Amino acid sequence: MHRIKEIYKWLEARLQLEGPLKDAALHPVPRNTASWWYVFGSAAFTLLFLQIVTGILLALVYVPSAGEAWSSLNVLNHQLELGWFLRAMHGWGSNFMVAVVLVHMAQVFMFGSYKYPRELTWVLGVFLLLMTLGMAFTGQVLRFDQDAYWGLGIGASITSRIPIVGGSLVHLLLGGPIIAGATLSRFFALHVFVVPGSMLLFASLHVWMVLKLGINEWPMPGRIVRRSTYLQEYHDLTHKEGAPFVPVAFWKDVIFSGAVIAAVAVCAFVFGPYGPSGQPDPNIVQTVPKPDFFFLWIYAALAYLPPSMETPFILIAPVIGIAILLGLPFYASEGEKSWYRRPVAVIVLCTVAISWGVLTHLATFTPWSPHMNAWSGDPVPPRYLHDATPLVRQGAVVFQSKQCRNCHAVGGVGGQRGPTLDSIATRMTEDQMIRQVLQGGGNMPAYGKNLPPPEVTALVTFLETLHPPNEPPAVDGSQKEVQTSQIVASSGSKK
Amino acid sequence: MMPPPILVSAACVFILLLSGCNDAPGYPKTSAEVLRPQDQLSFDILYRQNCSACHGADGQNGAAIDLGNPEYQALVDDRSLRKWISGGMPGTQMPAFAISMGGTLTDSQIDAIVLGMRNTWSQRAVLGGRNAPPYAQDQKGDALRGKEQYNTDCASCHRASKQQVTSPDYLALVSDQALRSIIIAGRPDIGHPDWRGDKPGSPLSAQDVTDIVAYLGSSRSATPGQPYRRDR
Repeated sequence: MHRIKEIYKWLEARLQLEGPLKDAALHPVPRNTASWWYVFGSAAFTLLFLQIVTGILLALVYVPSAGEAWSSLNVLNHQLELGWFLRAMHGWGSNFMVAVVLVHMAQVFMFGSYKYPRELTWVLGVFLLLMTLGMAFTGQVLRFDQDAYWGLGIGASITSRIPIVGGSLVHLLLGGPIIAGATLSRFFALHVFVVPGSMLLFASLHVWMVLKLGINEWPMPGRIVRRSTYLQEYHDLTHKEGAPFVPVAFWKDVIFSGAVIAAVAVCAFVFGPYGPSGQPDPNIVQTVPKPDFFFLWIYAALAYLPPSMETPFILIAPVIGIAILLGLPFYASEGEKSWYRRPVAVIVLCTVAISWGVLTHLATFTPWSPHMNAWSGDPVPPRYLHDATPLVRQGAVVFQSKQCRNCHAVGGVGGQRGPTLDSIATRMTEDQMIRQVLQGGGNMPAYGKNLPPPEVTALVTFLETLHPPNEPPAVDGSQKEVQTSQIVASSGSKK
Repeated sequence: MMPPPILVSAACVFILLLSGCNDAPGYPKTSAEVLRPQDQLSFDILYRQNCSACHGADGQNGAAIDLGNPEYQALVDDRSLRKWISGGMPGTQMPAFAISMGGTLTDSQIDAIVLGMRNTWSQRAVLGGRNAPPYAQDQKGDALRGKEQYNTDCASCHRASKQQVTSPDYLALVSDQALRSIIIAGRPDIGHPDWRGDKPGSPLSAQDVTDIVAYLGSSRSATPGQPYRRDR
């Protein structure tokens, strides 16, 4: 024990870290900030370290070459003891990190913490968010499977739309004209050195400022931030009724960070690692690539944009969005912090959160995209065929073999690009269906040239049977009139 | 908080438990997608992806013929099956699946499907020692005789407008071979009897089947599928 003390003294005499560390640990914080709302920043920092540790372990096995990256991930998944768990920890750690960073940002925004004198802390935080998303994207690329390949292709084509320099930027990004070995090396360098290095630097500065400027006090309606008085007010708040950071607030940070790591481990254990999905070979066209969870909203937004809006949206919206985030603390550096007095902020946050949620939800089942295998892989529900006539059966075969199912779901399965057809007969008469099949309309192509008359007849006969048992099919009101008048006419002519 | 030694040993136990755990819920399965699509040779997957939509999830209760019917499996030979799968069946909606014909399946995948159907659905002695009429038509059909045969053997069910098979709209979408297969092997999943069950006690002969198909063939129209026909 004595020996250890000696060594400590020797080190401390040279490093002199005890003072600053004690100051940092015991600096007074407003008593009401020792709240569960203030734990997200430290959790994000903890997750950053989890990612670094798991990332280093992965880098021991991962081969960043186009030919071997995919198989080295399969080695990790199946041949190395707990390799799959390591990959799962890193993948879920990434998900949790993006989530925690977003929640942290929303909380900081709601609490008005970005106001004077913490503008720069917020600005660095914005960059840290962008870097976290950058890490998530480059990480998805390193997985180098079909999702990565096509995701990178989309990233490259987005970049290529930048006027004048687009082409050169793509070349720089991919390390050549195509996605190949050089691309993977570049993304490896970005994911392993460039972005994490900058992140560590930015995150350290971010934490440094939190220590120096003090943690934001709990916002109270009517306690208005003014440049001239804020520093004195905060000083009074922390020194008169404050409490030392350790242990009054710190234990909640520790518990929450521990809980987050445990949650990552549970998710990793239960849900396992991400992919890798199929090989990154552009010859394999039987694939439905999708971005990772936190980019799904962009995927949905781009899918729903009309083509003429794509380029402006892709090139202008991010610039405006980032400019707004960076400009926010300078535009609103004084004033109310409490959400009770900031209705616009509350509405903005709710709108962003709901839009994000809706777009993400839509992207999980991509209703805009035909299901290219539905025609051959999704059986016609047997209940629609049980009492069917031979012609109706043939109609069902036509429905499948002509790939109607790829866009139209039946029995809850199939594409959702067009309307579901389970009760189509109640909505359209036979005539209307024939016209729709032959001429198309709405979003549907015309099939008149592809379906000979007996196929159309069989198909429509099948569709005519699709109605709930208690709801009769739609009929054209005039048909009865026409038939009656024909009968009257024929009986008249017989006389 | 837990003291560090307990924390460390808990972590060690956790890792130890994990390391025996290749059946953990998260342990990555070898998913179908990891194989190149052309290397997929599992019958279950190939059937589900390519055939189940029309022929039914288990080879029955589909819109098209029930491949899971053991009698059909006994009737049809490997060569014909392979031919229909690769090149499609003329006169029906059955499309071509071979890569050489514009589909997506390799020859070995088609072989895997044929073999898989045999292994899954074939049954021994399903024809009960009786010789079924041959799969392929080997005689010339007589439509007039076929009409009589149809009226005695088929019309009792098929007369009802609901089960009308003489409609030119229907006949335009099925080939003679498809009709022949159903007449001989039946469709147990929808209650259609086989060649022995049409008139119990007197099974149809090969000639009867050929004649009935000839009769149905003669009912085809040059301009099928005209709208507003009330006979269908």
